[in-house]
Amino acid sequence: MTDPRVRRLADVVVNYSTGVKEGDVVQIQGPELAEPLIVEIVKATVAAGGIPQVRASVQGVDEAYLAAAGDDQLDHLPAYVLEEMDAIDARIAIIGAWNTRELSGIDPGKLARRSRAAQPVMGRFMERSAAGDLRWCVTAYPCDAFAQDADMSLDAYADFVYQAGWLHLEDPASAWRTYAAKLRALANRMTEVKTLRVVAEGTDLTVGIAGRSWIASRGERNFPDGEIFTGPLESETNGEVRFSFPAVMGGREVQDVRLRFENGRVVHSEAAAGGDYLEQMLGMDEGASILGEFAIGTNYMVTEFTRQILFDEKIGGTCHMALGAGYPDTGSVNRSGLHWDMVCDLRAGGEIHADGEVIYRDGAFLPSFFAEELAVPAA
Amino acid sequence: MRDPRLTTLADLLCRYSLEVGEGDTVLIDGPALAQPLFVEVVRKVTELGGHPMVRPRLERAQAAFLADASEEQLRTVTKLDRIEVEAPTRALSVWGQRNNRFLSGIDPDRQAIRSAATRELFERFFEREAQGEVRWCGTAFPCDAAAQEAGMSLAEWEDFVYSAGHLEDPDPIAFWRAQSERQERIAKRLEQVRQMRIVGEETDLAIDVSDRRWMNADGHQNFPDGEVYTSPIEAATQGHIAFSLDAPYNGNDVAGVRLWFDEGKVVREEATKGRRFLSQMLDMDEGARYLGEVAFGMNEEIRTGTRDTLFDEKIGGTCHVALGMAFPEAGGSNRSGLHWDMVCDLRSGGEVHADGEVIYRDGRFL
Repeated sequence: MTDPRVRRLADVVVNYSTGVKEGDVVQIQGPELAEPLIVEIVKATVAAGGIPQVRASVQGVDEAYLAAAGDDQLDHLPAYVLEEMDAIDARIAIIGAWNTRELSGIDPGKLARRSRAAQPVMGRFMERSAAGDLRWCVTAYPCDAFAQDADMSLDAYADFVYQAGWLHLEDPASAWRTYAAKLRALANRMTEVKTLRVVAEGTDLTVGIAGRSWIASRGERNFPDGEIFTGPLESETNGEVRFSFPAVMGGREVQDVRLRFENGRVVHSEAAAGGDYLEQMLGMDEGASILGEFAIGTNYMVTEFTRQILFDEKIGGTCHMALGAGYPDTGSVNRSGLHWDMVCDLRAGGEIHADGEVIYRDGAFLPSFFAEELAVPAA
Repeated sequence: MRDPRLTTLADLLCRYSLEVGEGDTVLIDGPALAQPLFVEVVRKVTELGGHPMVRPRLERAQAAFLADASEEQLRTVTKLDRIEVEAPTRALSVWGQRNNRFLSGIDPDRQAIRSAATRELFERFFEREAQGEVRWCGTAFPCDAAAQEAGMSLAEWEDFVYSAGHLEDPDPIAFWRAQSERQERIAKRLEQVRQMRIVGEETDLAIDVSDRRWMNADGHQNFPDGEVYTSPIEAATQGHIAFSLDAPYNGNDVAGVRLWFDEGKVVREEATKGRRFLSQMLDMDEGARYLGEVAFGMNEEIRTGTRDTLFDEKIGGTCHVALGMAFPEAGGSNRSGLHWDMVCDLRSGGEVHADGEVIYRDGRFL
């Protein structure tokens, strides 16, 4: 029998996150191992009047292609890929893997080359998304590879994933709607702030955000979700930050990252392990050493670090910042090939000050600043 | 460990069947369970300078759509569907199923609506193929569903499938080139024939093949392969035929089929199993009671029926006919939604007469 939480997840991403309606062409992307979820999303899409178009992937194909491909092939973007991007009304992408180190043997230069070639598709995607012509959502299916990275059994990890989406509730979509309203109010409140100061162990960082917008990330483009984020002023980050959780990207991990900022730019970086990789990434381009995002995780059903950023950046009681590209809709103008989120735990003694006033302590907003309850009932 | 025969298969499909070259867009379409073959084909296509376009399918997702969709949804063909027909310059269809009864719970009428809607896609693809814009090949990936149907274990079935393709030969491509030449000689000889008579147990069937082209199926469009085929003159088939092999069609069990023809048309049909389904199919449309194909299986590695047409119709020493759709490239003009191959074993006592002369006996051309 299908886990009822899978059906609820499908219902939420189709009817709440992407709001599929009659006649929508809905592309459903995911690894073959997510078949139970793909099948439920097909059913929910059909029930909503949409046309499901499943694009499954199988293990090893990507690796085989990348290993054998030459520069000409990596640089080639077939015309049909753009046509496909124009032909869909919604896209639901499911993340999941057989092995999160699958591409570890592939030269990172090849990956970068392929990403560069795909820029026009990414651009079209962003354009259509910004114009409201393309609704999309990224979600996850519990798999052994992710469970292993999270130090959990598959069953425990499935519980973690579904609880993070509040799928233990009878009607998760309505809980998300209620939460979305609160989160928008919080984002509006934050938009009044000019300067933030984050204080925690090894961290005393000032981030200028005057005039920038805060966005409530409320279960539409990511699911599970739960964060508010903005794009900091590019030259007004100063001080030091120490990330409590490892910084994970592309199957690599950098431990205990510490950064010092001056006038917006990282001027010193160190790490307990993986420092070379960190430096390499920071040196990727002009924008890579500047913050593109500052955010606060507000999903209080996500409590553990699991090495999947979709979840980690949402942990209630943490903040995260991304080095590199910012989101234009926040007002950020930072451009980079990098967008690397790093998470800082504020639950034990961390504080956020807004224009001199403490607004957040020990992982929660103080009622004097924001009084609404963001936590969701357990079972 | 990777089965080396899969690597050989991928190499043969890319270099011999599809002739993948630099810049080709190669569609690789099939069930997700064929993942090991997907990987090998993607590797080979990429090594040859092509661009793989990989489309693994999930049969349960397909069934869920067919089960729940409204008539309007069933009739919808999207731009994404059309791109898969228009974009490739090479296309490999991989056949295999997790369970070949996966559509058994779906109302056949719903499947018919969907088939009718997607017919334009097939027609457009065949048009591009006829114009030389795309080359196509269909192949089997050994899976449990087919093994079970054939009464074998998966390991036995793999051995069977790969030996039918001569993949353990030192140079499989050389084998298929030589096989192609053998078949070509027979096709040339058959092209001189006007009246053909097939005689066997409970079988005496006269077929007119005057001026029709005999096609050499040598591993380019099907793999494994091995047959020569044509489309008979539509209104000339006369007599009766009994098919010794089971004749399953789209997952329906049919066996012991006997047909009686008059002026090209089936006027009586019998079957020991699936008689009603047989009649239903023959009444599908005007062309379903006429032959669209007559052919000789030439693959000596395939010796027994497997209930899988791809293999059965190639058994060395058999002939088969298909009711319904004919091959325009062979000169056939019969049109139908049906193309149902039925195989007749000629290995013990069967004969074929060509314009009065015996040219084939006991499963071999003389």
